[in-house]
Amino acid sequence: MSSFVLIGLFDGVEPAAKAGHALRALPLAAENITSISGVPLPDGSVTWDPRPIRFSRYVVVFWFVGALAGLALALATYLLYPLITAGKAIISVPPTLIITYEVAMLFALLATLILGAREMGLLRFRARKVHEPRIHDGKIAVCAVVEPGEQEIRARRAMKTAGALEIRVEEGEL
Amino acid sequence: MSGENLLARTDEAQLYRDLSRSNLVTTWKWFAGAGILSLVLLWGIGVFVYMMMTGMGVTGLNRPVFWGILIVNFVFWIGLSHSGTLISAILRLTHATWRAPILRAAEAMTAFSLMVGGLFPLIHLGRNWRFYYTIPYPNERGLWPNMRSPLMWDAVAINTYLIGSLTFLYVGMIPDLALLRDKSEGWRRKLYSILSLGFRGTHAEWRRYHRASTLFAILIIPVAVSVHSIVSWDFAMAKVPGWHSTIFAPYFVVGAIFSGIAGVVLVMAVLRRVFRLERVLTPLHFDNLGKLLCMMSLIWGYFYFTEFLTVWYNRNPEEWEVFSSYGKSFLPVFLLMIMCNFVIPFPMLCMKKVRRSIPAISFASFLVVVGMYCERILIVTASLARRNDPFIWHNYFPTWVELSITAASFAMFGLLYMIFSKLFPIMAISDIKERLFHTTERAFGGASVEAIALVEEGEEEGSE
Repeated sequence: MSSFVLIGLFDGVEPAAKAGHALRALPLAAENITSISGVPLPDGSVTWDPRPIRFSRYVVVFWFVGALAGLALALATYLLYPLITAGKAIISVPPTLIITYEVAMLFALLATLILGAREMGLLRFRARKVHEPRIHDGKIAVCAVVEPGEQEIRARRAMKTAGALEIRVEEGEL
Repeated sequence: MSGENLLARTDEAQLYRDLSRSNLVTTWKWFAGAGILSLVLLWGIGVFVYMMMTGMGVTGLNRPVFWGILIVNFVFWIGLSHSGTLISAILRLTHATWRAPILRAAEAMTAFSLMVGGLFPLIHLGRNWRFYYTIPYPNERGLWPNMRSPLMWDAVAINTYLIGSLTFLYVGMIPDLALLRDKSEGWRRKLYSILSLGFRGTHAEWRRYHRASTLFAILIIPVAVSVHSIVSWDFAMAKVPGWHSTIFAPYFVVGAIFSGIAGVVLVMAVLRRVFRLERVLTPLHFDNLGKLLCMMSLIWGYFYFTEFLTVWYNRNPEEWEVFSSYGKSFLPVFLLMIMCNFVIPFPMLCMKKVRRSIPAISFASFLVVVGMYCERILIVTASLARRNDPFIWHNYFPTWVELSITAASFAMFGLLYMIFSKLFPIMAISDIKERLFHTTERAFGGASVEAIALVEEGEEEGSE
């Protein structure tokens, strides 16, 4: 039988942390547990995020791609549409530096937005994901992917012992 | 001592109502304000169409002053835009604990100032329908932008900064848009559902969101500095006395930050009053910005004195004529600039009482904005009016056409801000909640003090 998500709703960070730690001790893998909250929580306070954040290194790559694009734009302009001025070189270095720099920064900024959103898993409107709107009233939801049967019972018990206000089951992704 | 964080002891529903008042409640005053600003803007648009159809002769531009108040407005608005994103980015990177209520107002100011400022080169262009010549695209006439021109650098830099600032503003709003999505109904819910991109607030999302915000803050600072440097090079690259100066780039950046901080203070004071945000925008925030403003006044004074002293001492005739005109034809503008930028605000802002009084610091900030506008007038028009050949020297006065367009630019800025405040939270709700969440009260001897947990990225635990 396929697994589903068990969602426990907690009144504050302390009971949510107890539940998070208890679920890890069941044991459940860190990637199968997460918290949903209205404010960011330090890693390890309630749940752990085992996946490394990768998109920032690609931003650096896109900075260089942008620099090349800027350089190409400036150089192509000089060579395809030469502006012949007596005593001056066809290719002027200072404007090339400026255009290269600005286009590089533009690429890096856009890469941060697009790659960041992609790694956050945003923009996937069709995917069914678990959600808890009561986080905006100060609640914290602890979610765990569990197998039905023994694992579900133990996970429910762990959440209840930690002080869950409500425990429910939802189908979807974390 | 209480172990609970301040957020746990706050009525979150009330906090949401307070911080979202701008877009939850629409009063007749909002409609009246928006109506008046729309009328001024429409008048400005009408005048612009008239100028386009009649020709640039209806402006006060004439030989040798071919850059007038329209370019002054361009430099002024770009300068005003400078500080919003910069302040926000610096405060984010330095984890300034008082930053939360300032961020959104400052970032929005940057975006709208840029939108307004970016229009002025196009308005000033003459034969405006040919503005697309600045866009590099292959065409059969062999037309291509001249990358050697500083005006082309401007187009690239301002567009980069505009895209960057809008993205920075938008990314900062994503958690708040998710909050609005869950709290609203009807068309607003649909709008916020799309704009929040499906953000739910999971632990993994928050971690990546913070990394992206930090990265944006790091990237946007050099872009902000480069934009105003490039605006200064529009002038400094030309061999015009008073413009051709190596100090221009840092001097413009300093001036931009100076006027930008003053703009942020004014916007905050208006928002505080209009949306009754007294509990969020406290005198502490104005005090801290007042200290920055005071320091920038000093730095601006230093730069201006340095620039003036070198010309004063060497008396290069071409440059000296420009500077000595400040004491003749341009004396009222010069005096207004010195008084508003340094003589009055600096001593005022040295006093804590002034910095913590909202009307007083707003007045000082207003003076700075006026002073910086005068500075732009002197830079742009005085240098051209005393350019090289004395037989063509000519003073410039803007006509009603230029003044109408200038008034419309202020109306457009106000209107954009008003529309923004109706659709989006004008306060960074998530950042304010995060600040409360990280704050507890603890006993310190006999006193009770606020303790703030600083959570560094990559650390596993917050520490008090």
